[in-house]
Amino acid sequence: MSSFSTDGKSEKSLVKMVSIEKWFGKVHALEGIDFEVRCSEVVGLVGDNGAGKSTLIKVLSGYHLADKGEIYFEGKKVNIASSLHARKLGIETVYQEQALAPNLSISRNIFMGREPVRSLGFMDKKSMDRESMKALQSIGLHLRSPDALITMLSGGERQGVAIARALHFKAKLVILDEPTIALSVREARQVLEFIKQLKREGISVIFITHNLYHVFPSADRFVVLTRGEKIADIQKKDTSIDDLFELIVKPPSHN
Amino acid sequence: MRPFPNKNGQKVKQRLSRDWKSRFVKLFFGYQSSSIFLVLIGLILLFTFFSKYRFSSVPNIKVLLALGPEFSIIALGVGMLMVSGEFDLSVGSILVFCSFIFIKLFEAGINLFLAGFITLAAGALLGLLNGLITTKAHIPSFITTLGTMMLWRGMALILSQGFTRPFNPEVFPFFSSILTARIGGVVPAQVIWFGVFGLILWMVLHFHKFGNWVYATGDNKEAARAMGINTDRVKTICFMIVGILCAFVAVLQITRVSTFSSRAGDGWELRAIAASVVGGTSLMGGIGSMVGIFLGSITIPIIENGLVMLRISYFWTYIIFGLVIILSVLSSIYLKRRKLRHD
Repeated sequence: MSSFSTDGKSEKSLVKMVSIEKWFGKVHALEGIDFEVRCSEVVGLVGDNGAGKSTLIKVLSGYHLADKGEIYFEGKKVNIASSLHARKLGIETVYQEQALAPNLSISRNIFMGREPVRSLGFMDKKSMDRESMKALQSIGLHLRSPDALITMLSGGERQGVAIARALHFKAKLVILDEPTIALSVREARQVLEFIKQLKREGISVIFITHNLYHVFPSADRFVVLTRGEKIADIQKKDTSIDDLFELIVKPPSHN
Repeated sequence: MRPFPNKNGQKVKQRLSRDWKSRFVKLFFGYQSSSIFLVLIGLILLFTFFSKYRFSSVPNIKVLLALGPEFSIIALGVGMLMVSGEFDLSVGSILVFCSFIFIKLFEAGINLFLAGFITLAAGALLGLLNGLITTKAHIPSFITTLGTMMLWRGMALILSQGFTRPFNPEVFPFFSSILTARIGGVVPAQVIWFGVFGLILWMVLHFHKFGNWVYATGDNKEAARAMGINTDRVKTICFMIVGILCAFVAVLQITRVSTFSSRAGDGWELRAIAASVVGGTSLMGGIGSMVGIFLGSITIPIIENGLVMLRISYFWTYIIFGLVIILSVLSSIYLKRRKLRHD
């Protein structure tokens, strides 16, 4: 709690993945990856297409099971078998464009699958609306009504709704999969603001992206994957955008 | 001095009333089901005047209220299933197969209440089958239910040899009276049943968490699944609701006409889909409201009956159906665009 050291080493580990291996048929998608996220840390997970970023995240969010390796959450060994299990631990994944139902209202989206009920399973609409607005405001997003449909929102606001949902359900770790892709410059900046707000709330973030210009200012640390291998794990102060770029495009050094 | 403020005051008043009117118009047209409501009112007025008031005569209304709900009850369930993103082409066949089960149980002399419950269970089972085949084998429901449509109709034909069979409702007067009695000698019980089912499904779809799951499943299945909703189960339950409603209508219809006919429910499957579309339900799922589906489900029987009252050849029915479907979808698209512009 009292630790604010810049190197981050003394901060508490939130999630730790050790020697994760994943095969898809004959394809070795993850080759013994070690990956750690500390409390209230923003980690930029970068790499080219097919580097294994999504696979690694899907193992963490319970979508895929690792073939080998261990996962520790808050120091305890866990076996994340489903996305439901991951969410119960406090790991929320915000998939781009997949997270929301466009023709449903904001509050119905935020509470989708976890609706507060009064009796006989009937939804508590009032508390849904109130809590939705509260969650949106906590990440600095001010929308007119919890009844607005998602289709009416801009791309940035949509990401905001998905992030607010994670926040409301007391996520400890929010995984953002390409949150700024297909967004305008202004909307992307809005999403980067949400990420800062998450960090201020003490929530850890994994930010997956191609766009180093988006991730660089937001992240504390960068993990670079290339063809299923981790080739770099660097603090921001020890690197630059150009260095990271070189790391991503450099062919992996086998042997 | 005097006329000046007076004039001013009048102007303000005028503007206020205009504001109120425009707000009402905006609210009305902003509502999803307004277009179908207008189509319905238009049809009723048209039929009333052009049939020289035969359409609005008491005997005709009595017939319409007793007969119409049979189709409309099933259409309610089909609408909800469509919101979840699936179709059911087998409703007419589930209906006739359940009719056959019910008449067999009646002939065996079983207590009719028990027979009714067994028939409902059979309907639920047929719906469950549609749901399981569709969700577990990843077959589009259009294909699954096309298959079961032919299967159950064929089974009913083989088992009944195509003959009609008599049903005597007087054996259990209490049973038939709760299904088909006229309340106060006027309002048929069928209308009450339709209203009750409409109310229950309205509450479930719009206020129950299951309703939210139905919308989420139809709107974005991947998102719903990522949020922990068992979309396969949601769809299967919707199929089962349709099956139960078909079985209920099977019992209702046999009690009303006192006969089993192997042609019961023939052609209802596409009409039920048409009713939902007219009521503003999207063919892709995720969009639709129970009010719209309710209004859509009464449009179809009204058109059928109205054309009879106009003494127009029955062959015209399909032309009118076609026009009404296209017009109501066009008008709802127009209203949606208008709403988006104004917002």
